Amino acid sequence: MFRATLAICGRTVVKRFISSVSGESALPSNLRLPSNLIGVAPQKRASPSGSDLPVLRRCEADIPAHLAPAQTWLETLGSHDSEPLGVVDLHPDVFSVPVRLDILHAVEVWQRNFKRISHAKVKSRAEVSGGGRKPWKQKGSGRARHGSIRSPLWRGGGVAHGPRGPTSYYYMLPMKVRVQGLKIALTAKLAQDYLHIVDSLEIPTPDPHYLLDLVKHRQSDEFPQNILKATEELKTVNIIPAIGLNVHSMLKHESLVLTLEAVKFLEKKLIWHDVRYTPLYPFKLPYSDLP
Amino acid sequence: MFCCPSSLSEEREMSASVRSMSLTVCRAARVAYRAFNPVTRSLTTGACLRTESNPAEGSRGFIESTEEFRFVERLVPPSRIPAPPKHEGPAPSGWIPQSATPPSLPYMIRRSRMHNVPVYSDIKHGNQHSTLLRKIEGDIWTLNKDVKEFLLGLTGKEPPTQVNEVTGTIRIKGQFDKELKDWLLKKGF
Repeated sequence: MFRATLAICGRTVVKRFISSVSGESALPSNLRLPSNLIGVAPQKRASPSGSDLPVLRRCEADIPAHLAPAQTWLETLGSHDSEPLGVVDLHPDVFSVPVRLDILHAVEVWQRNFKRISHAKVKSRAEVSGGGRKPWKQKGSGRARHGSIRSPLWRGGGVAHGPRGPTSYYYMLPMKVRVQGLKIALTAKLAQDYLHIVDSLEIPTPDPHYLLDLVKHRQSDEFPQNILKATEELKTVNIIPAIGLNVHSMLKHESLVLTLEAVKFLEKKLIWHDVRYTPLYPFKLPYSDLP
Repeated sequence: MFCCPSSLSEEREMSASVRSMSLTVCRAARVAYRAFNPVTRSLTTGACLRTESNPAEGSRGFIESTEEFRFVERLVPPSRIPAPPKHEGPAPSGWIPQSATPPSLPYMIRRSRMHNVPVYSDIKHGNQHSTLLRKIEGDIWTLNKDVKEFLLGLTGKEPPTQVNEVTGTIRIKGQFDKELKDWLLKKGF
């Protein structure tokens, strides 16, 4: 461990010295990976723009004239070393939005705190048992004047400004801000090459090791039985329905695997928020054309 | 409602009639509930499928039918803003649609969700007028330069502007919303 860190320090110092002397533009020190690092860094996949594989999915919603769809590979979970099947078009209003880190932070903090109810409660001087009577008379006893044995000054007395009762930290961010947070998270995953689109979740065996090997190899409603069994015991690979997609999970997990149906569902739901009216009555009640 | 029957047989009859009454009440309630429930369930799933049930002659003498629900369905409002109808040139109200091909400039200004140009005027403290230009994509600094040039030609002095690259907005000191709207419409945004 020490040797590794020392090597890192030494090498970065040397590199900085070299770069300042030679004038070349080297990577900044926080982005450089030392060669003796344990664990393989994922190789950047080639971008699918210049490939001759067919485009297997076009976007359903209309794309604005000045934007082009984002493209990514379509893969299979069938075997360890299968080539990508084709290229998939992704809507730019969901997968290429400007990445606002402040919105992402706000949504992540909201997700953590809006469910929080802190049950911390301590007794105040009124709630602690006893302490109704004045312990000794006001004047003449020689001791400090007190009104009750349970005031905050006393040992065993109540707490003056302690936490009072279950407090709720509930608040709601506007719906459009939360939707924008999801879009930004998806854009970030795509831009950082951590998004994998898959045609279906069929895997050949229910063995958890198959999935782990797949993840290491690839450096990637109702679910098929195999994948449910495979992910049951695994802590690092988790499976959720498309409606459960949220910013906290996307930030916590390194890469995201979506099926084609999930992509279609997400695009439909997220783009609707750009073209909807302000709600006349809550959206949980029926409208004629909810997505 | 309690009445104490004198003999045992009367009691049994009483209880039987009460029981049959309660059963009919339950059955009627369940029928009414079922009449309302299936159609609302189909609406909430979003698909406008109506179960065309044959008006069944119930043993009670009323007909169950879901055909008339179309009078309710046509009142339910849409949630999406419709695309405006195609006009050749300006509409009678003065609204001009966005040009089909985006102008070949390094920046792009999208329309709002109601298909209008996103230029808004703002007043603070009753005397501070500013104009906000929103939904800017692309090279915002070139647009800033163009806006300043245009307003210099218009008023003779260059108004201070505030460019926010993160949100893609430009705030201009002074009230120029009509002029900026016409200028952007002439450009084709």
